[in-house]
Amino acid sequence: MSDPAIEIRGVAKRFASHVAVKDLSLVVPRGTVYGLLGPNGAGKTTTIRMILDIIEPDTGTISVLGSAHRDRGIQDRVGYLPEERGLYKKMQVNRVLRFLGELKGLRGREADARIGEWMERLGLRTAEKDWGTAKVDELSRGMQQKVQFIAALLHDPELVILDEPFSGLDPVNAQALKDTVVELKRRGKTVIFSTHVMDNAERLCDAVCIIAGGEKVLDGPVSAVKAAHGERSIALALDGAASPAVQSILDDRALVAEVDDQNLFYELELAPGADPAALLRRLVEAGAPIRRFERVQPSLHSIFLERVGAAGVEMGMSGHG
Amino acid sequence: MARLWAVIKREYLERVRTKWFLISTLFAPFLLGLLTIVPIWLMSKTAAQSDIAHIAILDASGTGVGRRVRLALGGGSLAGDTSRTQLVVLDTTQLAAAESAFTHVVMKKETRGYLVLGPHVLDDTVARYAGRNGASLADVGRIQSAVRQGILQARLERAGLDAERVVSLTAAKQVELNAEQIGDKGREGGGIVKFLFSFSIAFLLYMSIVLYGQNVLRGVLEEKQTRVAEVVVSSVSTDTLLAGKVLGVGAVGITQQILWVITSIAVIHAREPIMRAMHVPSPSFSLPSISAGVLALLFVFFVLGFMLYAAIFASVGAMVNSDTEAQQAQQPFMMLLVATAILIQPVLVNPSSSLARAASIVPFSSPVIMPLRLSVSSVPWWEVGLAIGIGAVTIALFIWIASRIYRTGLLMYGKRPTLREVARWVRRSA
Repeated sequence: MSDPAIEIRGVAKRFASHVAVKDLSLVVPRGTVYGLLGPNGAGKTTTIRMILDIIEPDTGTISVLGSAHRDRGIQDRVGYLPEERGLYKKMQVNRVLRFLGELKGLRGREADARIGEWMERLGLRTAEKDWGTAKVDELSRGMQQKVQFIAALLHDPELVILDEPFSGLDPVNAQALKDTVVELKRRGKTVIFSTHVMDNAERLCDAVCIIAGGEKVLDGPVSAVKAAHGERSIALALDGAASPAVQSILDDRALVAEVDDQNLFYELELAPGADPAALLRRLVEAGAPIRRFERVQPSLHSIFLERVGAAGVEMGMSGHG
Repeated sequence: MARLWAVIKREYLERVRTKWFLISTLFAPFLLGLLTIVPIWLMSKTAAQSDIAHIAILDASGTGVGRRVRLALGGGSLAGDTSRTQLVVLDTTQLAAAESAFTHVVMKKETRGYLVLGPHVLDDTVARYAGRNGASLADVGRIQSAVRQGILQARLERAGLDAERVVSLTAAKQVELNAEQIGDKGREGGGIVKFLFSFSIAFLLYMSIVLYGQNVLRGVLEEKQTRVAEVVVSSVSTDTLLAGKVLGVGAVGITQQILWVITSIAVIHAREPIMRAMHVPSPSFSLPSISAGVLALLFVFFVLGFMLYAAIFASVGAMVNSDTEAQQAQQPFMMLLVATAILIQPVLVNPSSSLARAASIVPFSSPVIMPLRLSVSSVPWWEVGLAIGIGAVTIALFIWIASRIYRTGLLMYGKRPTLREVARWVRRSA
């Protein structure tokens, strides 16, 4: 159990027209929820596909659960929910799930028992209606996503990889997904998910890796990442709009390096060397109606914006995910 | 291997379960039944409609020949139904009046016509018939043969033969005449039947290869379009998936052909009872016999042809993103198949020409043309071996290329790749 769930060393992948991943190294410890963060086109999906041995890296090595990722049977211990969801449309739901289970080495009878369990747990089999005997294309989008999710977890994998799992989920299903991730972690499984929505990562992840343009920007436990970015952030909430006097203080680049208007409060980043007490004093003198003034850890969102910046996001607008 | 088996099983079961498979499997024996039973049934149906027994016989011969003619019209045997034929035995002097009376009866459609047997009918063998079907050559011909039979029986009896023996000896039986053709090379069997049979074999092979090749293409495209390919290849290699798909679809094709053969044999066997039940005489009909060796070769060539085109169509499916793109991209390969189909007729007419020999060895046409040649003439064994050998090598090459195109193309969405890009996929597949 001392082996990490995943260890990637110096992996690179080029496609004909562009470099998707360059010299990426990262370690995912076992039993953690790990976020792979980055703008669209950062190389998240390419990295995930290489871990799953769907595509081969040009250079570098990948080990999964202590073995080389190409080793026989190792992928049977991994569950995968791809970003592009899809199932055989004309096939019965139960048969699709049994087929995907068999591909992971499940035996027919055991697969059937587990399918029944999951279908009941996710409300796809009730006293009135058993969707398992329906064809996939008779199901609503939400139900199809549940089926896809069952397919990823049916063989009880030790490592679960979810590529943009929250995209297209309604709030109820998103909550159910979060609950399942927490439950998997409680049972000692490792969960990796990719996202470009920082709030989800902030709430769920033990550790993260931010990549942009195919390169690692930073990685590590969330607490360490935040600590490394110092407690230079201040949450400021005012009653009513900022007066011109207050606004001029916020615009003073000697005090405040950056202002992020979060609508209900401002997330301020202090300028290097600036004293928070000095800022508070200035605000009080200007008569600002302060409701909250708190030194906080920076959010992943602000760290992401700071480190990746607009340029990284722009780059990601084309090409693969 | 368990994974490969799972893929084969899915490809096979999901296709065999469709209505389309059921319909196309029943179609061939249905067509065969239609072609062998219905024309004969229709013929007998039209014959039954013009009921030649529903007439009056005006017998003025004084020899009882009218009774015999009635018997012959009713089917010939003593057990036949004679109730529909009205027999009027009369004197020569009453004949003219009876004739004009029966003309009115026929005009009122109470009977179809009347047959006049004169006093000297046994010697001058002249009789007259007038009726609504007087212009129907078929009806008149059958009445004529009934009259001939009646006269023959009466003459035999007059010559001293026992009445019952006369009937049993002359009971009308259709004579079967099986024709056979003799050509430059000797006897050629039932010419037209064999010709049609060979044509059907070649055409069915062609159809099966086209149908199931396209089936592979659609299967690949479906996995690509629904994006299910990504989940599948996270569990099995693309090579396993491709192999499973080709083998699974091929097994469906072979299943269908076996069912076709079994049901066709059943139809041919069921033909006689069915026709007897419909009271229709069944002319004998037999398929040209085909040896087990040739049957095995047919099987080998179907497998060769299917595998070759399945590899090609799988590559096309992996290259394209939509049905319309697939239509375009498969055209050059469809042309190869259509060209093969066009060759069927000239090869059938002259199976030993150099064109036929070349087409039966070129791997793109050999799966259809070689079985065709084998079924119409004898082919030197080395030509058969050469065709199989070249076919196998070509298949190995195409499967190798297909596996590389498939590996890259399966997860490649967006614009259709150029030929140069595809060539790069083959050179360095990733």
